[in-house]
Amino acid sequence: MSSPNGKLTARESNALDMRYVFLALTGALFVGIIVYPLYHVLAKSFVSGSGLSLANYVKVFSNPTNFKALWNSIWMSATTSVIAMVAGTSLALFVIRTDIPCKNLLRIMLLMPYAIPPFIGAIAWTQLFGPAGYISKAYINLFGSYDVPWNIYSTGGIVLVMAMYQFPVVFITVSGALGRLDPSFEEASRMSGANAFKTMRDVTIPLVMPSIMAGTLLAFVGAISNFGIPALLGFRARFYVLTTRIYSALAIPDMPLATAMAVLLAITAGAALFVQIKFEKGQSRYTVISGKSVRPQTISLGKWRMPIFFMVVAVSLFASIVPMASMLLTSVLKYWGAPIKLSNLTLKHFSYVFNLEMARRALKNSFILAVLAATVTMALGAVVSYMSVKAKMKAAVVLDIVGTFPYAVPCTVIAIAMILAWSKPPIMLYGTLWIMLAAYLVRYMPFSIRTTRATLQQIHSSLEEAARMSGAGWLQTMRHIVVPLIKPGLIAGWILVFMPAFRELTMSVLLWSQGNETIGVVIYNMQDAGNTQIAAAISSIVLLLILVGNVIVRKVSKGQVGL
Amino acid sequence: MGIGIEVVGLFKYFGSVAAVNDISFSVKEQEFYSLLGPSGCGKTTTLRCIAGLEQPSKGSIKIGDRVMSSASEGICIPPEKRGIGMVFQNYAVWPHMNVEQNISYPLRITKVPSEKVRDRVNEVMDMLKLTGLGKRFPSELSGGQQQRVALGRALSIKPAIMLLDEPLSNLDAKLREQMRFELKDLQRNTGIAILYVTHDQVEAMAMSDRVAIMKDGVIIQEGKPLDIYKNPKEKFVADFIGTTNFIECDVIGSSASSTDIRLESGSTFTVPEATDIRGRCTLALRPEDIELSAEGTDGFEAEVEVGIFLGNVIDYRIKIGNSKLRVQSTVATMFRPGDKVRAKVGRVVLFN
Repeated sequence: MSSPNGKLTARESNALDMRYVFLALTGALFVGIIVYPLYHVLAKSFVSGSGLSLANYVKVFSNPTNFKALWNSIWMSATTSVIAMVAGTSLALFVIRTDIPCKNLLRIMLLMPYAIPPFIGAIAWTQLFGPAGYISKAYINLFGSYDVPWNIYSTGGIVLVMAMYQFPVVFITVSGALGRLDPSFEEASRMSGANAFKTMRDVTIPLVMPSIMAGTLLAFVGAISNFGIPALLGFRARFYVLTTRIYSALAIPDMPLATAMAVLLAITAGAALFVQIKFEKGQSRYTVISGKSVRPQTISLGKWRMPIFFMVVAVSLFASIVPMASMLLTSVLKYWGAPIKLSNLTLKHFSYVFNLEMARRALKNSFILAVLAATVTMALGAVVSYMSVKAKMKAAVVLDIVGTFPYAVPCTVIAIAMILAWSKPPIMLYGTLWIMLAAYLVRYMPFSIRTTRATLQQIHSSLEEAARMSGAGWLQTMRHIVVPLIKPGLIAGWILVFMPAFRELTMSVLLWSQGNETIGVVIYNMQDAGNTQIAAAISSIVLLLILVGNVIVRKVSKGQVGL
Repeated sequence: MGIGIEVVGLFKYFGSVAAVNDISFSVKEQEFYSLLGPSGCGKTTTLRCIAGLEQPSKGSIKIGDRVMSSASEGICIPPEKRGIGMVFQNYAVWPHMNVEQNISYPLRITKVPSEKVRDRVNEVMDMLKLTGLGKRFPSELSGGQQQRVALGRALSIKPAIMLLDEPLSNLDAKLREQMRFELKDLQRNTGIAILYVTHDQVEAMAMSDRVAIMKDGVIIQEGKPLDIYKNPKEKFVADFIGTTNFIECDVIGSSASSTDIRLESGSTFTVPEATDIRGRCTLALRPEDIELSAEGTDGFEAEVEVGIFLGNVIDYRIKIGNSKLRVQSTVATMFRPGDKVRAKVGRVVLFN
């Protein structure tokens, strides 16, 4: 009886060795594609001429335009995030804690801007509020004036559009915290004699304050890392931020300057995220662990119920439905500025797009890149998460941290890192499609690790152990139990990487080359060159794909995940 | 059938902490054996070592005459090769499989022909009163039904050994009581040896042929439930099993069949137990082993503080000097607070 025992032991230890092989390979890959390029940015920013120096930073701060860009980035993002905080928090309180009608519908509508790529949103807003925009023209017709009292191509325009696309972050964070807040805190306040409004002021809001702050800081990071909005609305107004200055520096090209500014951008965003994590941890002290609980009484809005309802509806319409409708309308008008009537509608821009070699190539490129990025990141993420969550291997925890780190690195910085690392022998990726794949892998690795980790954590280890006790080996347990259970999570995660990768702009716009355009780059260039309706047609196609993808994700994950 | 478990010198370290610290015991064939102890005593770790889900640091585990783990020989059979049925605390019923698929999985994985699988699944479902629920998914079952599915899955391959890890702790009180009887019946009918892990002493007492009381990774006492109840070897056991009053006292004299005791209040009395202990000691008294009467000279004098009528018994708290004792009396007359009574002591256990 002892000899077969010995064999089995050996096989078992082989399986263990295989896991380490897997882990070592993933580790080497992470070092190659994440650590090495990101380290390059930091190192290169201190190299000038032949030796180490601070010359690049001196250059940033000595040129007033560059220094101004840093300052602009910070105050534009700060203003944006304050607006996002006020809007996101009050919307969350209205939708979650009051007797406002159609709660579920409002919730979905308020989350929709989150799914719209900000640069497409910015284009739509120029169509609405630009000099020849639909709303601008309506205003002129209505009041008989020659001009409108606003200018979308301004710092105010940037802040407003940016806030439109950042408030959902605060809304999601705060409504999540409100949902998980132990209702007995609020009930205790009511029992102590406080009315609904005092309870909200003295108990509810202070208790979710960490989440409000965390959401606001996320909005800050989102704003400071964004390229599309300040590029599409800011260049005309000569309002530059770090991301757009880095874009210009690369066009010169002045790589050392771009690198130094990238480091400043990374430091600012990183500092904000560092504080954000503290707030997030603070919130967890007040949350109920066991999921479902009885909802506390909602606050009655009384006579304000309908006015507030219409206000919330207006905000959500302007954040999502109106821009999308405008985009679609622009794409089917015979010419930009044509009066809106049935005889002026046409599909010629779509047929132009489908016959345009560059657009078809870009669609194909974006599709290939997004499929590869989603597949590779999900596969690696699943391995790393399994090893760290289930096998509890210490080395995997390190990989988990390394793979999640790029989350704190703005896209522009990742793109600079790719150029620095992959445009010299032995690996020459610059000028090919693959440099964008390298960038996407870095960018989306954190998302993949996070979704796979969350999915695996939901599977109690006893489910696997029960299979082992039933006579299944490790591989059979994987095949019959683990994979089927995490499959919906993997599919949802795959689509959640595919969709943002498919319409990516910030990194692609710095990394593309002739023949290797992505869909985001084509839309940006078309809009930049004044081909508004071509840009609108392609944007409409992208929006449609996002909508379809979102429906699939919701179906697959049974409503738990969505963009 | 006719297979037992033999654990010899088992150690399990997590880092430098010994969760299991030199444990030896054996479960005989067809025996219902319980590991009983507070949380963190190492009972679940011991069970998981036997299952093969943990690798022991030292010691050996034999099932029947097969060595399953032996640290010295470097043997550790993977769990799927041990042929043990196991029921998990949270049931671990797979949410993506229906009842039939869950129960039949161990059979399918060992390539049992499909018609035999069907027969066995039906047989198990009948036995566990799951008939008609075969196509249901776990999310459509109550906690009690999920529990039965978990049991069915463990039973489907007709294992000689079954491990149960606090299987009843997630059920409500009524269902738990009912399942106790069913588990006992099941074990009698199938003749399986069951190793049962629980922190609930009532559960262990009700079902087990033998119980091992664990604390801090070691077995403190092993034996039949009644023997442990009557003769706890340590204060911990007396406290953990049932309700016990502890009073500090002095032994002032003893004979072959009785001991003279002086309480701190000064009153002395004789208990019908022999002891080697001299001087200071702790007296353990079960609430039901104290008899109260209005007069007499037996035992010691006490004052009733409060009495609660519970139906089958009256639960008193009485005062002797500074110490308070719980007494469960079946006597029909009810004393009132403040009444002076004589407390006559039946069985006691003395600890150093």
